[in-house]
Amino acid sequence: MTSIGAAEDRALLDLLERMWLIRAFEEKVSDLYARGHISGLLHLGIGQEGSAVGACSILRDDDYVLGSHRAHAHALAKGADPERLMAELAGRSTGYCAGKGGSMHLVALECGFVTATGVVAGSIPLGLGTALAGQQAGMGQVTVVFFGDGAGQAGPFHESLNLASLWKLPLVFLCENNGYAEFTPLSAHTNIERLTHYADTYQIPSTTVEGNDVLAVQAATEQAVELARSGGGPSFIEALTHRPRGHYEGDQAKYRELSEREEWKEKDPIARFEMYLEQQNVLSEDASEARTIEADVRQRIEAVAEAALDAPWPAPESLTSQVLAS
Amino acid sequence: MLPELGEDQLRELFQTMLVMRRFEEALITLAGEFDVGHFHVYIGQEATGAPALGLLEDGDFGFTTHRNHGHLLARGVDPARMMAEILGRETGTNQGKGGTLHLSSLEHGFPVTSAATGGCIPLATGAAFGFSKLGNRRVSVCLMGDGSLEEGAWHESVNIAALEKLPIIYLCENNSLEALGQRANEYPSSSMAASPLTGLAAVFGMPAVAIDGFDAGEVHDTMNIAIARARAGDGPTFIEARTVRWPGSRPLWPQLLTGELDLTIAWDETALPDEHVEWHRSQDGILRFTRELIEAGNLTPEQALEIDAGVKAQMKEAVQFALDSPYPPPEAALDHVYA
Amino acid sequence: MPELRYIDAIRRALQEEMENDESIVILGEDVTLGGPFGATTGLADKFGVTRVRNTPISEGAVMGMAVGASLVGLRPIVEIMFVDFITLAMDQLVNHAAKLHYMSGGQLRVPLTVRVQGGISGGYGAHHSQSLEAWFLHVPGLKVVAPATASDAAGLLKSAIRDDNPVLFLEHRALYWTGGEVGEVIEPIIFGRAAIRRAGTDATVVAVSRMVPAALEAAERLEESGTSIEVIDPRTLAPLDLDTILESVRRTGRLVVAHEAVTVGGIGGEIAAQVQEVAFADLTGPVLRVGAPFAPVASSPVLEKLFAPGVDAIVDAVQRSLAFSRDGAPA
Repeated sequence: MTSIGAAEDRALLDLLERMWLIRAFEEKVSDLYARGHISGLLHLGIGQEGSAVGACSILRDDDYVLGSHRAHAHALAKGADPERLMAELAGRSTGYCAGKGGSMHLVALECGFVTATGVVAGSIPLGLGTALAGQQAGMGQVTVVFFGDGAGQAGPFHESLNLASLWKLPLVFLCENNGYAEFTPLSAHTNIERLTHYADTYQIPSTTVEGNDVLAVQAATEQAVELARSGGGPSFIEALTHRPRGHYEGDQAKYRELSEREEWKEKDPIARFEMYLEQQNVLSEDASEARTIEADVRQRIEAVAEAALDAPWPAPESLTSQVLAS
Repeated sequence: MLPELGEDQLRELFQTMLVMRRFEEALITLAGEFDVGHFHVYIGQEATGAPALGLLEDGDFGFTTHRNHGHLLARGVDPARMMAEILGRETGTNQGKGGTLHLSSLEHGFPVTSAATGGCIPLATGAAFGFSKLGNRRVSVCLMGDGSLEEGAWHESVNIAALEKLPIIYLCENNSLEALGQRANEYPSSSMAASPLTGLAAVFGMPAVAIDGFDAGEVHDTMNIAIARARAGDGPTFIEARTVRWPGSRPLWPQLLTGELDLTIAWDETALPDEHVEWHRSQDGILRFTRELIEAGNLTPEQALEIDAGVKAQMKEAVQFALDSPYPPPEAALDHVYA
Repeated sequence: MPELRYIDAIRRALQEEMENDESIVILGEDVTLGGPFGATTGLADKFGVTRVRNTPISEGAVMGMAVGASLVGLRPIVEIMFVDFITLAMDQLVNHAAKLHYMSGGQLRVPLTVRVQGGISGGYGAHHSQSLEAWFLHVPGLKVVAPATASDAAGLLKSAIRDDNPVLFLEHRALYWTGGEVGEVIEPIIFGRAAIRRAGTDATVVAVSRMVPAALEAAERLEESGTSIEVIDPRTLAPLDLDTILESVRRTGRLVVAHEAVTVGGIGGEIAAQVQEVAFADLTGPVLRVGAPFAPVASSPVLEKLFAPGVDAIVDAVQRSLAFSRDGAPA
């Protein structure tokens, strides 16, 4: 596993805590969904915490992040309040979007999470726009746009690579390649083996990293962000990762070989990071600090869930409010 | 270089190029006297279109863009009916409903001209998909400009074509415009970051080559290989045929800035004109082809002028036919909304 | 007042707004060169190519980029060369721009202006001649503006740019070179306020965009036979000033709605429905629509002319409307 070397133990434990927060949040969401407390189409990012946390860990508060339909992790990694996020998933008035967005349309502007989207590749052009605004403002803000490998075959993705390269936009394309576009393996959608090849075509610097290695993603993003902040234009990071669950909650993922599921145990970015921290003596041999972190986070998420479910439903009159900005 | 073809075929190719050129010269002249609306011309790209499309067989399809006149003529569409269509007449190829931007002739294998940039790319890919499913060994040729590579639909289409090994040739005629502050064929440009352009197709693991679009022989040979590959079920090819834009190709309102083609320049009977000398010396593909034919002994100046006279007479008739043709009857406006 | 052409009024409004607000950027194909008709000519020289930016032919990404930039502080104006090509940008416009304010519970704003030109003129054929306003009216979150005069084009464009919502600004190509009086100072025109272009007593004609001058010509012709029509230009289609239309219909009892778009599914049907829902008793006859036949636009000049509704169609509709009486059979 790569190391950022100078990172303090505390910073490493913060990464671990953030990943556990996302994992606990997502597992709670799954539980609430199974029990009928949350409805809608839910795409969980369990197993992909490493790329979200690694990339967002080096961003400034005023940097922008955009996600895809699988975006809970990205919002949380950028600093969104779990309680307002949970309330949003549960359709409550206290949610970030007052119950109007839900899982696929999360927005937490206060922390720079600009938007998720229900359309594959939909937020990539939007990310061009936030990057353009950042460039015009001249304050060094960068944008990271997360998307999956399924977006790689969509036209607007290509149009965006071209534009970002032409205009040297301060943008990091972060492709979380989990190998499956909805229900289909990537190999059935394209001859391309590495999505970085697309970027190379447009003269965008690119790299492929082990997405389940939070520090590898952090290091790659740091380099990309430095380039973007200094006016050097966009970068493309392909983070190879794994989605141990179905495309959405309720998807049994029968299209997937069992062996792939077994692989998960080795790939789990959290287990993997804990092992690394043990090796580095950041965690003790019994990893008791990690268990404390996990227990604290799970307890916190219990409270978050309780508060979210206790929160009021949106008022009927909000149905037609905010259609237009006043 | 000359394509490896028999003398008769070479002369036929020469005649086709002249039909393409004289048709548009006649159209530009007509536009000076008569309101025919705006149109785009193919002048300067004949040495690409004629040999490339001459290789297609009956049943193969071509799909084209707003710069389409030459393509249809290369496959034998009647110039008179095309002229009538451009003038909105009932006798036109589309009965006056398409105009220059939507000329089509299914019987000649040109089902659609799309006037939206890149609009034909998915259609051409779809036809290739159909051919492959039908197993009929037909091929689809997608004629496209370099600007259409900026459209997302191009990437979506070529990905599928490569994945499914579809029988299609993407023939990209790159006539990139110097007037926009960009040297011809120089990439990255102000609107395209990819360099080389062939990389946009090569990335999918398919053959992608850049060739000299003024060189009829190179076009012929390259297309020949691509078509054979497609027919054999081995998948798509991308060809970037490089030309420069004809000086008279002013957007919307072309002008005969280089004058009408003077074949006698090819055998130095007439000296190179002072203006647009580069055009006459090396860029006009027809003059180049003529020089090559004469040098190789496949054509004499007298024969060239005789063929040209015939073509010019044909174009005169085409214009007259169009002008004499009636406009469509009012009730035609509501025909063909549904099949 | 000085006379300006419609297209020059648009350029002046763009220039004045850009002078006053540095967050405004223009994105579009060939906009530094003025675009195909010259609406942006000279603006790149004045404001630089970082504020007036040529884009590749990538409508989807360009629209999305403008929306994204609008979310975080810019006030972009996108030019789509022909309204027909907005089809390529519909995902970003309909699924994102129109809904982000609502879906985010008010966190996001999309101060975006989309300038497009369309309509029939010059035999451009079926990919360059459409009137598609009805598509956008059906999408909550979009505003739709269709100026008919040079003065309105300038004033409404200023309001569109200053609006915090995505505004579809629909210019009509055939009006570009028509002149009209434009004030020394261009004041923004508040959305949702129709203009009564001509007062009348016998029938109300609501005319959209290019149909406004056609309706005024029809009014002249009808006046010769003693018929007085009131011509209302809604100016903005979303929001729609129903009150002004209702007030007129209550006086005249008869309503004709004229637009260049295909009649079926057009805004004429929507206005007719809204009027009869609240003013059925005031109507002396059915609401009639004037629009294009249910066919794509043909390129042949004769078919195009036949397709385009005009003065004759309005006169005919008004006369048919007047022929109805309340007791049933045509009078």
